[in-house]
Amino acid sequence: MAVVLFATIFVAAAAPAAEKAPTNEQSKDAAKPAAKAPSKEQVRKEAGSASATAAAAKAFEKVSAELYPKAKQEGNLIVYSVWDVEHLKVITDAFMKRYPGIKATYWQGRNPEIVTRALTEFQGGQPSWDVVLSDNAPPVIRAAGAIMNYETVQKDVLYLHDPTMPTVSLQVQALAYNTKKMKPADLPKSWEDVANPKYKGLVALDDPMRAGPLSSQLSGLKTLWKDDSRFNNFVKALKALNVPVHQSTSAMFRLVISGEYSICMPALLHDVFEEMHKGTPVNYNKAVPPVVFPRQAGIYVKAPDPNAAKLFAEWLISEEGQKAIDSVGRETSRNDFKSHTSIEAAFGKGTKPIPVTDQNFLEDPKKWLDANVKPIWG
Amino acid sequence: MPLVVSAIAAAAIITPVLVVIWRSFTTGRLGFNVGLHLTNYLRVFGDKDIMAMLGNSVVYAGGSALLGTGVGALLAWIVARTNTPGKTLVELLPLYPILMPPIMKNIAWILLLAPRSGILNGMMQQFFGIETPIFNAFSMSGMIWVFGLACVPLGYLFLLPVFLSFDPSLEESAYIAGSKPVHTMLKITFPLAVPAFLSAFVLNFLRGLRSFETPVLQGTPGNIKVFVSRVYDSMALEFNTGLATAYSVVLVALSVITLYFYVRSTRFSERYATITGKGYRVKVIDIGPWKYLTFFLVFIYFLVGIAIPFIVLIVVSMIPYFDYDTFMKFPTNAVLTNYYTVMRHPSFVTGFYNSLVLSVTIALVTVMAGIVMAFTIYRTRASGTKIFEFIGTLPLAFPPLVLSVGLVIIFLGTPLYNSLWALGIGLFVAYFPYAFRNASGSIVNIHKELDEAAWVHGARWRHVFFKITLPILKPSVGGALFYIFIEAIRNVDVAVLLTSPGKEYGPVTLFEYFRVGQWAEAAAGGVIYLVVLIAAVSVAKFAFKMKFSL
Repeated sequence: MAVVLFATIFVAAAAPAAEKAPTNEQSKDAAKPAAKAPSKEQVRKEAGSASATAAAAKAFEKVSAELYPKAKQEGNLIVYSVWDVEHLKVITDAFMKRYPGIKATYWQGRNPEIVTRALTEFQGGQPSWDVVLSDNAPPVIRAAGAIMNYETVQKDVLYLHDPTMPTVSLQVQALAYNTKKMKPADLPKSWEDVANPKYKGLVALDDPMRAGPLSSQLSGLKTLWKDDSRFNNFVKALKALNVPVHQSTSAMFRLVISGEYSICMPALLHDVFEEMHKGTPVNYNKAVPPVVFPRQAGIYVKAPDPNAAKLFAEWLISEEGQKAIDSVGRETSRNDFKSHTSIEAAFGKGTKPIPVTDQNFLEDPKKWLDANVKPIWG
Repeated sequence: MPLVVSAIAAAAIITPVLVVIWRSFTTGRLGFNVGLHLTNYLRVFGDKDIMAMLGNSVVYAGGSALLGTGVGALLAWIVARTNTPGKTLVELLPLYPILMPPIMKNIAWILLLAPRSGILNGMMQQFFGIETPIFNAFSMSGMIWVFGLACVPLGYLFLLPVFLSFDPSLEESAYIAGSKPVHTMLKITFPLAVPAFLSAFVLNFLRGLRSFETPVLQGTPGNIKVFVSRVYDSMALEFNTGLATAYSVVLVALSVITLYFYVRSTRFSERYATITGKGYRVKVIDIGPWKYLTFFLVFIYFLVGIAIPFIVLIVVSMIPYFDYDTFMKFPTNAVLTNYYTVMRHPSFVTGFYNSLVLSVTIALVTVMAGIVMAFTIYRTRASGTKIFEFIGTLPLAFPPLVLSVGLVIIFLGTPLYNSLWALGIGLFVAYFPYAFRNASGSIVNIHKELDEAAWVHGARWRHVFFKITLPILKPSVGGALFYIFIEAIRNVDVAVLLTSPGKEYGPVTLFEYFRVGQWAEAAAGGVIYLVVLIAAVSVAKFAFKMKFSL
């Protein structure tokens, strides 16, 4: 998988700027931490880069016209995904409505289950699925040679682009906190500041030694900082907090809401928004730049319906597909699509996200953690 | 014939197990074939944390099994042998907690016992001014409490038929000799229940060794690591089923040791035979004023086993979010949004139908096969049948995800793959140990003189099996059917890899709410689920006079 390993991952809009982000990725404006969930209507009025948007729309129409007849002939689309069944139903229904004649079905599991099933079927030579829609799973499956290289024609409008797998959504990490337990002024000013000893006992920490959000974040920060001693000191300081670690991000977030902890290190933005809209006493520090992780559509190398899979991936990135993704509260992947969960809307104009792009981490998290975190964390 | 049926059941069980064991020598990370190697085992035995984690596992599994089986046995004795008042209620109360899936208990007890935000600690602070948290869900005792409660039903259902089928002359002899009821109970009654107790204990212990939800949700935050987390790390972090199986083999070794002691302790099975050729009626013991205490004990179990966690779930499903203050404001802040969400779940109806049909079928097939295998071991003259004892329990040693991989590999490329048949066979393999151990514990209690009388008169195996063994086992058959049905209808771990696109299995989609962190929706789904099951059990009990081994 030399192609994959050396694939030039570039961050269309974010990465170059992210590297120029202020030292220790702190925001200049620590006084604006308490975010207010923006309404969808409000943010949709904001415009992206008009020329890139128009070019992407044109490219999509062209590829859609090419792929649809072939996909219709295939007639089916089989999706494996980590996303909620309710979300998958909304998204696949919208796809089937747009492209009559293609029947989309899905199977849902957690990332380890998806990887296990997809690769066991791959090793057994089974043409049993078309596309995997997930965050952690696609790079791992690709590393085993089970993903067909496919580069989207709409790459110029993506925050994160991978020439082998279309990025259809983003996992956005935010520094969330319980508003009943913490005042905005007392919040950590950056991810690094979470390790400040004054937060001992207040922080709920995701287990950094599992393939979860915190390990993704560590990978992103290491790439961003390019400073081993700073990275090592950060991990050491996190460990010195001596706080419990959690292996279930969702359970950890619930415990922050319940008041067991005050700060969630880290939370997923769509979860935070969902709770904020319900009136739950939770918010996020807008001043801490988000860590973004690609959610990709990996097309199976033995896909029985490869054209339907490509069409699905392209449609998910199109304006219409992004609307479907946004409608279920998931973060969109285009930098010109304005939704309440888009980085600009959620964190403010000019925010420089921290992308997770290290292929060594994405394809073999265990190996990366053993090399970079375990020696310090233990 | 029994040998053939047992051999087929054993083949169905051993094949996926052998497949995953073989792969532990031939595969590393998924997707990469590496040829025959010992790397996975070398890594397992070179793991310096292994002993500490095993120690935690043994304490956790042993403590939970002891608590669960002990309480289950006590409840069974109270229900079967004492004159505790409110007989119908007392018979029914221990049944309801079985209906609550363990994960729901986990969530409810975390909300109750969390040190800073837990309801009980909050109440202690609000009403008694006790600032220091008394309860801690994230501790070994918290883990044992929650998983131990989940172990009670198995202990109860295993012990109840034994207490119901006692030859009272054994106790009467003690009374005639001047023994007091408590003394008789300790010296006669309980020792005779040892095989069934050990059967339930072994099952609960093995369930504890491989259980994952409690250690993840309660152990990790308390910095308590158990062995099975290594198995899951191998799958979730390294995607290495070979390594996961190699770690599971350590669990198999522990299971073999456990089984060895079990088989050894029951090797003179005739000693425990309480059902003989003599006719009798089970005697209910008058325990005097203690009967109010026993009623109180049953009621307390009902409270902690289901009522309190159920109330917590109901409230959580109806409040906007959970924290202590919001919880205490209920019902002024009640909303029904989560129920609306759950009822609109795309797979709710078809998934529930599929799970209902499969669970009934699997319960019937598994229980019958379990009885036949136990009959083969203990009641036929075929040699080498003791191997079934091991094979029949083996699936319990493997974490479900590992076992499912073996099943997926077997079914790949066959018409069974991606069908409900594959899921059915998967559930059969997963629940066979319960049916088998339940049947073997009960068969040991039937004195061989009954069979021998039939053999002497020229009966064939089918006469002995259908006319003698099966009718006598009726109480335990009811219990096992009920238990496996309930387990299967809420199974997620085995089913998740064996379901397929377009073929939903109710619990997989419903309990996904738990896994993605939508606890309020999960609680609403759980409440709907429990209400349906409680109604079904109550109707079955009162309208159709079903026994559930009572």
